Order: sequence, then C-alpha cells, then structure tokens
Amino acid sequence: MSGLSRLFSRRKRYDDLSISIDEHIAERVDELVDEGISPAEAEQAARREFGNVALMEQRSREAWQWTTVESALADIRFALRQLTRSPGFTITAVVTLALGIAVNATMFSMVSAFLMPQLPGPDPQHIVVASSVDPDGQHQADVNPASAPNYFAWRNDSRLFSAMAAENEYRTGNLSEPGRQPEAITYASISPNYFSLFGVGPEIGRDFLPGEDQPGHDHVVLLSHGLWARRFGSDPSIVGRSVRLNREDYQVVGVMPESFRLLIFAPELWTPLTLTAADRAPQARNNRSLYLFARLASGVTLEQARAQLRVLAEQAEKDFPETEKRWGASIRTMGDFLIYSFGIRDALAVMMTVVGFILLIACANVAGLLLARAVGRQRELAIRMSLGASRVRVVRQLLTEGVVLALMGGGLGLFLSWFGIRALSAGLRFNEYIANVPVTLDTKVLFFAAMVSLLSAILSSVAPALKACRTEINTDLKSEARGSSGGRSRNRMRVVLVGGEVAMALFLLIGTGLLIRAIYMLEHQKLGFRHDHLLTASLVLDKERYPDAAKQDQFVRSLAAHLREIPGINGFALASNLPATGPGTVPIHIKGQTESRSNERHTAADVVVTPDYFSLTSIPLLRGRSFTAGDDATAPRVMLVNQEFVHKYLQDRDAIGQKVRLDMTGVAPEWREIVGVVADVKSYSEDPHVDPEVYEAWAQRPVAGFSVMLRSSMEPDSLIPSLRHVVSGIDPELPLLHVMSMDKVIDGQKTGNPLFTKILAALAMLALILSTIGIYGLIAYSVGQRTQEIGIRMALGAKGADISRMILREGFKVAAIGSAIGLALALPLPKLFESMFPGDVHFGAPVVYPVLLVAMLAVALGASYVPARRAARVDPTSALRSE
Amino acid sequence: MAKDPDRRDLFAGALELMILQSLRYRPMHGYALAKHIKQVSDDLLQIEEGSLYPALQRLLREGLLESEAGISAKGRPTRIYRVTDAGLRHLEQEVSSFEKMFAGITRVLSVAKA
Repeated sequence: MSGLSRLFSRRKRYDDLSISIDEHIAERVDELVDEGISPAEAEQAARREFGNVALMEQRSREAWQWTTVESALADIRFALRQLTRSPGFTITAVVTLALGIAVNATMFSMVSAFLMPQLPGPDPQHIVVASSVDPDGQHQADVNPASAPNYFAWRNDSRLFSAMAAENEYRTGNLSEPGRQPEAITYASISPNYFSLFGVGPEIGRDFLPGEDQPGHDHVVLLSHGLWARRFGSDPSIVGRSVRLNREDYQVVGVMPESFRLLIFAPELWTPLTLTAADRAPQARNNRSLYLFARLASGVTLEQARAQLRVLAEQAEKDFPETEKRWGASIRTMGDFLIYSFGIRDALAVMMTVVGFILLIACANVAGLLLARAVGRQRELAIRMSLGASRVRVVRQLLTEGVVLALMGGGLGLFLSWFGIRALSAGLRFNEYIANVPVTLDTKVLFFAAMVSLLSAILSSVAPALKACRTEINTDLKSEARGSSGGRSRNRMRVVLVGGEVAMALFLLIGTGLLIRAIYMLEHQKLGFRHDHLLTASLVLDKERYPDAAKQDQFVRSLAAHLREIPGINGFALASNLPATGPGTVPIHIKGQTESRSNERHTAADVVVTPDYFSLTSIPLLRGRSFTAGDDATAPRVMLVNQEFVHKYLQDRDAIGQKVRLDMTGVAPEWREIVGVVADVKSYSEDPHVDPEVYEAWAQRPVAGFSVMLRSSMEPDSLIPSLRHVVSGIDPELPLLHVMSMDKVIDGQKTGNPLFTKILAALAMLALILSTIGIYGLIAYSVGQRTQEIGIRMALGAKGADISRMILREGFKVAAIGSAIGLALALPLPKLFESMFPGDVHFGAPVVYPVLLVAMLAVALGASYVPARRAARVDPTSALRSE
Repeated sequence: MAKDPDRRDLFAGALELMILQSLRYRPMHGYALAKHIKQVSDDLLQIEEGSLYPALQRLLREGLLESEAGISAKGRPTRIYRVTDAGLRHLEQEVSSFEKMFAGITRVLSVAKA
C-alpha cells in the first residue's frame, strides 16, 4: 500500500481497531459476569488482563504510522499546548531567543555579503588572482597589483595559466556631454579577454574584440548597469552611440549586467587596456597597477602555481635588481583575494563573536527558565513515565519543546532581523565600496538563522532534558518536599548557569568596552589643525587639456584669481593632499647623514602646498619661517618639516638650514633647504600615528592633481555653487571631485567606526540586560524553591535581614566566581585586538577592567536584591504549612 | 511487575506466527483469537491480551491478514481477521525455518547433555 493511500485509509483502520478492542473487553466482561462476578469487578479484571488499553492502542496505531514523523508532530502539538498554557514563560523565552537569533542573523547578513559574495560567471572558483608582494608594504602587502612586464612574463608561461586578463582598476575619469554637468567616475581598463575569462557577456551589445586594445581601435567602452541606468536612463539604443570620456569620444559597445560584481571592484565603465612598447620596458616595472585574473593551466594546482610564480619572481629579481629587488609574487583564488582585499574579515569576526556570546547568554536564560519549569513539571514527567512513556520519549518531548520555542524565537528573530538588516544596510553607506555590496536577508542568512535556532534549541533544552533523564518515578511521585532546595545537582546546574552568564557578560562588556574606548579616543583625537568652516574639493588637470606645466600653471593662476573674488571667503589654499588624509610617503636623504641601509630607508609624508596653507589651517609655525610668494620656481629650493621629522631624523637638533633630497620618479634630485618647522598633524584622522612629514612649496613643484581649500565664516556648503561657477567658468568640461566640507572628509574617513561603535554598544547593552534578567530569574526561582527552608530558618530564629544577606551572599558568590572567569578570559584581549586591527591604535586600558568588574558585580547584586527582599518577607508559618 | 518464572517471554516473530497459525483454518475476531491462543498454549506463554492488537495491525499492514466487519458471538459488532494467500506463504516459510531452528537447538542441547 502506498504511503499516501495508507494515510487516507488510516482513520478507518483506527476505528476498526477501537471497535475490536472495545468488543474484546466487553466480551470478557460478559463472560466474567456470567461466571457470577459483579459487573464493576468484571470490568476491572477484564482491563487488567488486557493490559494498558491506551498504550496498546498507541502501539497498534504506530504500525500504520511513519512513527518518528507522526510522534514528532504529536510532540509538537503537545509542546504548543504546554507553551500556550504558560504565556508569561513562553513570551519571555521566545523574546529572549528572538533577540539572540536576530542579532546573529543580522550580523551574519554582513558575513554573507562580504565573506561569501556572489561571484560572477559559471565557475568563479576556478579563477585565481596573481599579485606582486611588496617587501615594504604595511597593509595587505601580498596583494599588491603587478607591473605590465610581469603581466607579460606570467601570462606567457603556459605551464602556469591557460588564460590571463589584466585590469587597471580605480582609474578616475571625467564623463562630460555637452550641456550636462561633467561627472567624475571611477573606471577600469581591461584586456579584451577580461569578461570572457569570467565567462560573462554583456546584457546588451557586445564584448570587447581582440585587437581593441591597440591604439587607434581602443575608443570603445562597456558601461556598467548602474551607470547606464543612472546617467543614460537605461536607454536601450545606447549601444553604438558615443560618450565623452576624458574629453575624447568613445563608442559604447555594450552594457554589462548588474550581476557582474567583484565585491569592491565595481567600476562604472570599462575601456580596453592599451599596453605599448613603453609598458614592456624595464622602467615600467616600477609602475605596479595591474590586477591579474587568470585560469590555471589544466592539472596545475594552486600550490604548484605559487611555486612556479615564485621562481619567476626570483628570476625577475636577478634580471632587474633595480626595480624588482625583494619583490615577490603571490597567488590566491579570486574569492579569497577579493575577501582579503576587502579587509573586513577581522571586524566581522569580532562582531560574530560578540553576537555568538549574546546567543549563549540568551540560551542560558532560556535554559534557566526551562529548568525552573521542569521542576514544576517533575510530577507530570513521573506520571507520564509511570504510564509507560519511555525516558527517551520524555526527553524527546522536552527537546521538542525547546525546538518549538527556538523555532518561534527564530521566526520572531528573523522578523526582527529583517529590520536589523535594513538598518545595517542603510548604515553601510559610508564609502562607495561598502555601499556597492548589497547586504540583504538572503538564503544564506535564512539558513544560518535556522541553524542558529536549532543550535539554541539544543543548548537551552539540554540541561532540563538531562535533568529529566534522572527522574525517578517513585521518589518524584511520592515527593512531598516541593519546598526544599531541590537537591545538589539542580543547585549545581543553577550555579553553572548564573556563573556562566556573568562570565560571558563581563567578558563581552570588557571586549566591547576596550573597542569602544579605543574608537572613542580615535574619534576625539586632536588632529593638529582647524577643520571647521573649510570647504574642500579636488581637481585633476588631465593630460589632454593640460599637457604641460605651463598650461597647468595658467589654470591655477586663473583659479586663484577667481577664488579670491568669491564673496564671503576669508582665504584659500591649494595642496596636493588635504591634511590628515594619509598623504603618500617618499624616500628621503638628509645631507651629511650616512646613507642608511636600504631596509631602513628614511621616508616622509610629502605634501605640496601654497603659502597660505598653514595660516588657513592654523597649523602653527614653531621655528623659522613659512613659505612666501618669493619661494617660486626660480628661487632656491626650500621646504618645511614637521616636529616628528625633526625628532625622528634629526634627533631634535636644529633643523633650520639642513638640506634634504626627495627620491621621486619624475622629480629632479635637488637638495632642498629646511626653512621652518611646523607642528605635527595626524597623518590620518583615524590613526593616532604621526609620520615625519615634509612640505614643498607649490611654485617650486606644482602638481596636476590637488585639492582646493576655502575658508569662510559661513556654512561651507553655501560656497559650493560659487566654486562650481568659478571652475566651469575656466573649463566647463572639468569635473570637481569630492566637493565637501573638511569635517565631512574626516567623517568619511571614519568608515565603519561610528556604526561599529553603535552596534557594539547596543550589543553590550543587550548582553548586560539579558544576563541581568537571567541572573534575576534564576535567583528568584531559587528563592521560590527554598521557601520552606527559609521558613524553617526563620522559625528557628533567623531574622529577615539574615535571610536577605544569605541570598545576597550566595548571589554575590556565584557572580564573583563568574566575574573572575570573565575577567581572566578578557585579559589577553588588547593584544588580540592590536594584532587584528592595523594602525597604531592602543587597545590596552587597565581602567576598563575594574570599572566594568564593579559594574557587573553591582548589576548581579541588584538582580539578587529583589528576590532577597522577597525572601526576607517570607512568613514562616505559611511557608511551613504550604504543602 | 514481577514475572512468573514458569512462563516465558516470546521471541521476536513468535506471536505473529501463532496468530497466523490460529487463523489459518478459521477466521476469528480479536477476543476469540486471544482465547484460542491462551487455551492452546495452556497458559504457559505470558501474553497480555492487548499485545495481540499491535501484532494484528503489523500483519494487516504487511498484507498477511485481512479484516472485515463482523458480529461477535454475543452479537456485538467487531472485526474478523482472515489469513491472506501471502499470509499462508509467509506462515509456511516461517514454520519451516522455525522447525530448522528448533532442530538445531535440540541437537545442540542433546549433545551438551551427552
């Protein structure tokens, strides 16, 4: 009989069975009555001979059932009935679990988006990325882009790769059509085989053709879906039309689908990468700007490829020691490469650990609740066992209750996490790379939430179920002693739960406290310059319109003349980099100092500024003089340095008059004289570190890419129209980049920190609240259990205050043990954080420990205080009389 | 529940075998079947009467028995159980395998005695 028809005929089977059994007993009764026994006795005897009717009926039915499924369903129905019967308990448990599950699912949405990204193409797992390894790199040195000569060398090694494509990412371009405001976009140049390497084609139009990377054929573009929709209104006839990129006409050949996304690599359009003979020359090895995506040759493992690439790198080091000395090569799978480059893994690991602990605390709470309930249900369980339920069955019933609770919590948690993820996704807009990655409640998050729910079901119902396993039918049925302390083992379970909650909560509080404090110190560090009421914008003078220094100078002079006329401004300056935005560093040589060994190169941050820069930003001049209009191209070369430079390289000796040479490609190696020392400015607003820094005079080394700074007593944003007007008056096709106040620039550099702090603070509060509720619940419950004992103590002369003290002392003892464990676990945290997060941030803060320890103990005492007071008010006579 | 040492638990499949054998020549309803087995086995086997019913349901599910509505000796509605062809075949197989097993056990026991 098929399962389905069996399901339908089952009702009839059950009826048949009942009829048979009823008749059986009735017939036996008749017989016994015939033998002269009274009907009542006959009925009893018949039933005794038959055995347990309900059990036999149940066993008989099981013959027709998919036993496990059906009895599980019955268990679930029963669990639901039980739970609706005590709504207070159910709501508390479900909400607790929901909060725990919601924060986990919400955080996991980031893990899903950033650590398990959807990669394009049919087999993204087979694509690898080859990179150079920077011997002096501080941050992600082993995924440095590669140079064009290395690209050619590696691509042509057919033992390694079957195909390789190059991408020059993060190029800034200028999109301008007549009559529209010019717009700066980021784009990438790619070898024509780039998309076919991924196995992805455009959604409309065509891919680049071989040969379109040759000069003369290379004025074609592929648009990203986003740019196509935003700037061209998703016009399907865009293919074949031309767009104006960097003041030249390019023909649009296609639009890439939205699904083509490589995590943070999200250019707005693609052009062919043209590599000329110059890119094959040895000096091109210094220009490392290509990301190399490749497919390994068949049969080659990642390990073999890594080894072979190392051989190639060593060969290059021998052949070109000038440029390749100590440089290496590395290879990673594409997913690995993208996730690693994103550099968010450690922060997410911290977050996931925090929410994991919150889940544990929530589970401990629910375990405590279930344990308390299990005691109330001791008799019910004993009765069920005496009626023939096996231990396994009872434990399964309890686990089912846990699962039902967790599923309800999971459902509610998922609902809450929908809001959480929306809020999170709205918060994740602090830079374009993050904003490019969609954070959603996807199937991975759903699956994770389901797993977390099941895990929490097991975690929270294991203790009560184990307890039930030890149920003794006889003692528990007979037990009159409901009011006694419930034995040693239950007490131990309670101590473990309370102690564990306190330990986890304190550990979390200290961890988040250290992180929040470190971030707070960063956010509130003095940067060393005045950043209010400053409007900033960047300009890049492109080679097409401004091919030489004279043309650039002409633009800058004209700009300066017009800026001066903007009403309401108090001053302006130009600088190659805005302060505290992490300027590039260059190798330097100080005249008279012996050349240091190459692995101890002296480097300094290098900024080119106009003379008004220091007064505009209120960076104080400490010694010597500032730049003047006289420091022009014809005057002797001069420079300013910061205090850190004097301290680090001149051992705090007098700097004035010292001569320094900067080692830069394209800049004549001249000695420059230090004419002044200025105060330190933080190199980057999000790092307490100060680099040695040199300032060059604009007129002596003008740069093509620079920032404009305007000071005004007005709201900085109110100057934007005037600034735009000035620039478009000089060059209508030139876009202004990053037009925003200096405060906004600094805010932008905070990246995730404010959000991170808020989330951490919220999670820490949640952990504290949950554990407070948990401690309160378990202690209140233990007081309730000990009513009779307390009654006896009082009858024997204990005062209310003694009882309160006893309960408080016990609460405190457990909290102290838990705190000690939590504190010990938290001791290595600063070291751990320092190793995880780059930069000079110090996480060590000895003051955090005692403060939070005291706070935790106070909270634990507070949570025990209410039940302790209640214990003191126990009326001995009624306590002793009650059962 | 204390056990009478003179009565033995059944081994797996024995109850089913006895049911099939009892119903082989005469279809019966539950009570009659229980009484029959008790009498035939001389009360030596300890069976709760109720434990017949799960066994009956298993045999029904396997298609070795079939049941039909009927009237008991006392005129009450009940279900009459009858062995199917498949049930007969199964019974014959089982009986022969039981006989082989018993023969084996007997031989071992007699050797051990000697």
